Amino acid sequence: MSEAKGGAVELVELRKRFGDVAAVDGVSLRIPAGEFFSLLGPSGCGKTTTLRLIAGLERPDGGRISLDGVDMAATPPHRRKVNTVFQNYALFPHLSVFDNVAFGLRRRRTSRNEINRRVGGVLEAVRLEGLEKRRPSQLSGGQQQRVALARALVLEPSVLLLDEPLGALDAKLRKALQLELKTIHEQFGITFVYVTHDQEEALTMSDRIAVMSDGRVEQVATPEEIYEEPATVFVADFLGISNLMTATAEGAHDGRCLLRLGESELHAARGEISARGEVRIVIRPERIRVEPYAPGGENRIPGMVERVVYLGSLEQLVIRLATGDVLQAIVVNDGEPKAFSQGVPVRVHLPAEALRVLPERPAGEVT
Amino acid sequence: MKRLRDWWSNPWGRPRALVAVTWLYIAWSIVPIAIAILFSFNAGKSRTVWQGFSTRWYWGDPTQSVLHDPALRSALEQSLKLAALDMAVSVPLGVALALGLTRWHGPGARPVNVLMLFPLVTPEIVMAVSLLLVFVTLYGIQLGTTAQLLGQVTFSVSYVVVIVRGRLLSIGKEYEEAATDLGASRVAALRLVLLPLLAPAIFASLMVVFALSIDDFVVTDYLSSDASTQTVPIQIYSSVRGTTTPALNALATVIVVATLLAVAFAYVVHRRFTAGDEAARGSALREIAAFDV
Repeated sequence: MSEAKGGAVELVELRKRFGDVAAVDGVSLRIPAGEFFSLLGPSGCGKTTTLRLIAGLERPDGGRISLDGVDMAATPPHRRKVNTVFQNYALFPHLSVFDNVAFGLRRRRTSRNEINRRVGGVLEAVRLEGLEKRRPSQLSGGQQQRVALARALVLEPSVLLLDEPLGALDAKLRKALQLELKTIHEQFGITFVYVTHDQEEALTMSDRIAVMSDGRVEQVATPEEIYEEPATVFVADFLGISNLMTATAEGAHDGRCLLRLGESELHAARGEISARGEVRIVIRPERIRVEPYAPGGENRIPGMVERVVYLGSLEQLVIRLATGDVLQAIVVNDGEPKAFSQGVPVRVHLPAEALRVLPERPAGEVT
Repeated sequence: MKRLRDWWSNPWGRPRALVAVTWLYIAWSIVPIAIAILFSFNAGKSRTVWQGFSTRWYWGDPTQSVLHDPALRSALEQSLKLAALDMAVSVPLGVALALGLTRWHGPGARPVNVLMLFPLVTPEIVMAVSLLLVFVTLYGIQLGTTAQLLGQVTFSVSYVVVIVRGRLLSIGKEYEEAATDLGASRVAALRLVLLPLLAPAIFASLMVVFALSIDDFVVTDYLSSDASTQTVPIQIYSSVRGTTTPALNALATVIVVATLLAVAFAYVVHRRFTAGDEAARGSALREIAAFDV
């Protein structure tokens, strides 16, 4: 099965409008062969349209799409070497599982023996042996999802497009199928382009992620980079809980940015450390250190615990700083007696190496 | 007395009043037809006095039965012939139109969609007169079977379009997209995916068109030429004033049975087509029921 080789996809200044709305507004991406690449963003950000453009189901208004260096703009969808797993699977209800999976092979006039062999092989790979004769309506959601996957994989596409394939499943099944998808990706060695609005899904599975908003790409990077070093306010905000604050930057000093947040002075070692004027700063909840109250200290701000949320292995503290900002901090539940409860004054340590200065988007483009 | 009242209007029980009204209505509408059918088996010549069971008006009587009376037999043949032709022309045409109208998003799709409904709301007599006029004076079509067929197709197509379009909209575009994504050309996607999914609607259309054609009086009468192109409704209508025998009842019964058989056939085929597809099941019957044909 692994003779199938991945294809490299390149998008250049891709554009697509629906009426007055620019669904895809100048997207350029370079996806190397064999990568697990995710398009992440809220609904309406253009990620699905981008996928449909690659599949050929929509025609771009401008820009180029190339597969392995060959321009695909003039190629109709049924001649592209890409296959799609649709959001609601779109399994043909009048055909059995076997016939659904064999559909594409029959279009290519594959011999009967070859069809039997390849359908059998791919059904085994997605663990659906024995269900060949069932109709899609007789399968569970997870099984339907696997049929959709098998139907696309059996054609050995060089790129597999997946449009929120786990969206319709419950949380537990989603987790299991995430791992399975990752395994299948490694097994088949082809390029996956995965559309999702679920940041956790994107982070756990992808080699690289493109975060999209309003038809544009905000940032393309590895999951670690996206999470640790968000390039824009949007990315920081979209990727889980981010503590965003507005501060005044006064430029770089010794490789760190000097910031004023109310009465307090902070140093930030990450992001746009040479920025000046009003900036947005961000820190992840798990990087905040909460200490017993004491006055002063570098990068330390007094505050008060407003709420304590018990999450089992973790504890979430909502802290109101003396500056008026509200931060969320995550504390590991290590069995120690609880030091912080509602109404207790604390000192919050925002380590300079965890504090990030974000470039502000130009005015008028803020969502 | 109290028990009777409780039985009738028990808030936790079945809604007896509604059940009673329903059954009354069914009885009211079925009784006349049942009586008409019953008298088609009358041994005597009367259509009101029962004189014993016989099949003479179907085939037993050598001159006056449906089988042997040339006028009745010709009417039956003409009716069935027109119905078959109407189905053969209207359904493919209507399916094609529905496909065009739902998958065509250009300007003009909306007005055409509305225009398609025109034949459904035009009074039939108006349509019949207009058709007669244009056929005879403008197109030079000879009255008779061809004109009758064209007239019936004119209004039948609208019903087919409405039925098929409804199903098309509920199917959505995703199956076709999946088919093209898997390497099917547009024609192949239509043949292998869309048409099988449309099968319930196509069968519903066939049955609706059959019923419309068999039932039609006004248009078919206007566009008929001589006695040879009279259909069953025309025959029944024109013989009401003359001397009538139960053979007319027999003729009507044949039509009723033919229609019922057609619906039953469609239902069986439809169930086979939609095995495992619960959503589609029953939709054909609903589609038939949606039209008062």
